[in-house]
Amino acid sequence: MSSSKNKHSQALLAKLAAASSSWGIRSVAFLVCIALLQIAGDFDLINQYYLHILTIIGMNIILVASLNLVNGYLGEFALGHAGFMAVGAYAAAVIATKVGPPGAMTFVLALIGATLAAALIGYLIGLITFKTVGDYLAIVTLGFNMIIVNAIQNMDYLGGPRGFGGIPKTTSLIIVALCLVITYTILRNLVFSGHGRRWISIRENVIAAELMGINIYKAKNMAFTIAAAFAGLAGGLWAQYQQFITPKSFDYIKTTDLLVMLYLGGTGSLSGSILGVVFYMILMEILRNVLAMIDPRLAELRMLISPLILVIVMLTRQSGLLGNREWRWLKPRKEDSTDEYSS
Amino acid sequence: MEIIIQQLLNAAQLGAVYSLIALGYTMVYGVLRLINFAHGDIFMVGAFIGFMLATTLNMPLVLMMPLTMLLTALVGVAIERVAYRKLRDAQRVSLVITALGVGIFLENFVRIVVGPQTRQLPAQLPDSVLKFGSGLIITEDKIWIILISLALMIILWLFVQKTLMGTAMRAVADNSEVIPLMGINLNRVIAVTFAIGSALAAAGGVFYGQAYSIDPYMGIDLGWKAFIAAVIGGIGSIEGAVLGSFMLAGVEVFTVAYLSSNLKNGIAFGLLILLLLIWPSGIMGKPLLKKV
Amino acid sequence: MNTVLKVDNITKSFGGLMAVKNFSLELPEREIHGIIGPNGAGKTTVFNLITGVYHPDNGHILLGEKEVSSLPADVISRSGIARTFQNIRLFSQMTVLDNIKVALGHRTNYRLWDVMLGLNRFRRQEKVIAKEAMDYLGFFGLADRHNQVAGSLAYGEQRRLEIARALATDPKVLLLDEPAAGMNPREVESLIQFIRNIYNDFHLAILIIEHQMPVIMDLCTHVEVMDFGQTIATGEPEKVTADPLVIRAYLGEEEVEA
Repeated sequence: MSSSKNKHSQALLAKLAAASSSWGIRSVAFLVCIALLQIAGDFDLINQYYLHILTIIGMNIILVASLNLVNGYLGEFALGHAGFMAVGAYAAAVIATKVGPPGAMTFVLALIGATLAAALIGYLIGLITFKTVGDYLAIVTLGFNMIIVNAIQNMDYLGGPRGFGGIPKTTSLIIVALCLVITYTILRNLVFSGHGRRWISIRENVIAAELMGINIYKAKNMAFTIAAAFAGLAGGLWAQYQQFITPKSFDYIKTTDLLVMLYLGGTGSLSGSILGVVFYMILMEILRNVLAMIDPRLAELRMLISPLILVIVMLTRQSGLLGNREWRWLKPRKEDSTDEYSS
Repeated sequence: MEIIIQQLLNAAQLGAVYSLIALGYTMVYGVLRLINFAHGDIFMVGAFIGFMLATTLNMPLVLMMPLTMLLTALVGVAIERVAYRKLRDAQRVSLVITALGVGIFLENFVRIVVGPQTRQLPAQLPDSVLKFGSGLIITEDKIWIILISLALMIILWLFVQKTLMGTAMRAVADNSEVIPLMGINLNRVIAVTFAIGSALAAAGGVFYGQAYSIDPYMGIDLGWKAFIAAVIGGIGSIEGAVLGSFMLAGVEVFTVAYLSSNLKNGIAFGLLILLLLIWPSGIMGKPLLKKV
Repeated sequence: MNTVLKVDNITKSFGGLMAVKNFSLELPEREIHGIIGPNGAGKTTVFNLITGVYHPDNGHILLGEKEVSSLPADVISRSGIARTFQNIRLFSQMTVLDNIKVALGHRTNYRLWDVMLGLNRFRRQEKVIAKEAMDYLGFFGLADRHNQVAGSLAYGEQRRLEIARALATDPKVLLLDEPAAGMNPREVESLIQFIRNIYNDFHLAILIIEHQMPVIMDLCTHVEVMDFGQTIATGEPEKVTADPLVIRAYLGEEEVEA
């Protein structure tokens, strides 16, 4: 009968709709879009510069989202994130140039090395850092950022203050997109798990959290180490994209850029990290181009506008653009959900 | 021996400058519990105001210094009024990030208006060369900087200890909720705190510009160092800020002299971290009691 | 009956201030005891000492046979002591359900890798504690609030949630710090019934700090009275509230209505 056939196809459509809202399908769709963009760029259908911007955006999202674990979910105020990026970048640079022949294997090895090196440094620094209290955390983490940069500047093997060059450009937009998907898959799982809940509970009320049997020190260190690991990954991608890295590019100023994007987008929200980076970087690009069209000297004014925007956002919406809300597609859905009771 | 004395004087000079900046940090933190990230940039603004007054208006130091301090104080008060006051009861992080934004704004503003080049303030302190004993050579301006800075610090100490406003500042640092109930205008106390902190930082900026050089991004490096000094000494404590500043300057100067100038930041920060592990609230800081 | 919690002569001072001096109590496995006393008597400090927020300068605290006085707070919690606070300490920005899930953390044993790779062990256990958490909420009448942000709950509901969360940690001993604070007489009645239900269903020992005497009189079989950090009277509620020493300590306090 036609009505049962209708019901059947309706059910099928419903299932299809449900499946297409699942994380896996969305990730694949995203990657396909990026791949198409990349191909279009290769055939000069799109200005390569736009792809370049997207690549940088992608790496920055990884950096900001990982920083969000510590500054957003955990509620700490850590200031040295660029230091871990530096560790990853230099580790990758060394592996990519001195360990294997240029190629896919070396590239992957460099990324793994970058992630692990940064994770190790993050772990060690975390051990010390979380013995200090509250406001001092900011300075101690900043201090470690400076120490790392200073240390690199003093190592001739790594090129010292002049920098390290000659790194093959193996990173591309599609690879950054892939890493981004992997990063967000992992972070999303983490944030909606017991580990994530522990971090949030520490942020909300550390004394009560302790009384829930949570080892505060260990939990904080875990978030810190994971954040460092992803920063290292981003650093590894960065080094094998820019081809030339200097210690100065990973200092306080880079950390500040990341902080601005993080707080702009909203702490405690992975969606916010995406929004913050995209919004900030695109705004800067638009400002640069628009202002330059009026008068080339005006392009510099964007360096005044961006901090102003940050201040205005803080004065009006203290928790950033998204606060701690997530976009729907990022939250666990009922189908692949770990919690059938969440909305 | 002579070299050591010279280096000690260098350290004292640098320490004096750090103190002037660190005091502003520590006072604002004491009163608002805010790490004013823009303070280092206020120091830079003070240096540049001094620079402008000295070069375009040819003002002598005797006039230029007080005027610079006054103008910078106004900048500091304006920033508090516009950017910080509204967030006073908000989450601390919002305030800190706003301060960060203000700082970046100031850096780029000065860079765009004045230019990114490094400059130096025209020498305005008597800088005759003094010779002591068997080869100890000191330039007079160093002594002046150290002495004037110490004088300013003593004036500050007297102000905080002996005047009504100073006592109000100490009271606010202790418990700001009660203050309005005592008939003290909280806004005014905070404004005065910012004014004094900024004025001192400006003095530091002028001296730094005399002894070394200035550029729009100097506030970052020096601001952080002064902040570290304040933390080492125990943030919120005036004595601590001065102590920490001289200690830090000493470490820095002797590191550069005997090791390598490349290492000075690393060692400075390493020292900080080490000290914080031993004294989690800073050397003269008050230990925080958990209230449950 | 066995003693589940034994506090043996503990002393704690802060700087020059002696907050608790030679305090002792014994709490059997299935009884409800109380601690009363004027403000500042040291009652909450005793709770803090038991739960490991502070450590006693002298004396011992034993949970069953186990000495816990020098253990860190999270370890003590896992050993079986749970507690609520005078000023409610919920995880305000988390949902009601998530608050319980945090407490149920001890029911899961998946590791970091299980989470990061999204393995079945993780997903399965999450489903399990989601259901358990809902069961807890159902028992406490908060099931329909499960998706609300905890900070948006009414005061009485927040109290209930805090107690529910404490129970979800599966304790042997439950410490309630002024659970009736801010409640009117009808709410207090409700609370008394609530605590009685918990006592009946969960088989645990309860220690209550309270100012509202009906709670103490109705529920407790034994009371310690504190003043200036020391015990000034101990015994059954009726006897203790008639003690002239106790009455004098409370002189000026309006809440004493035996």
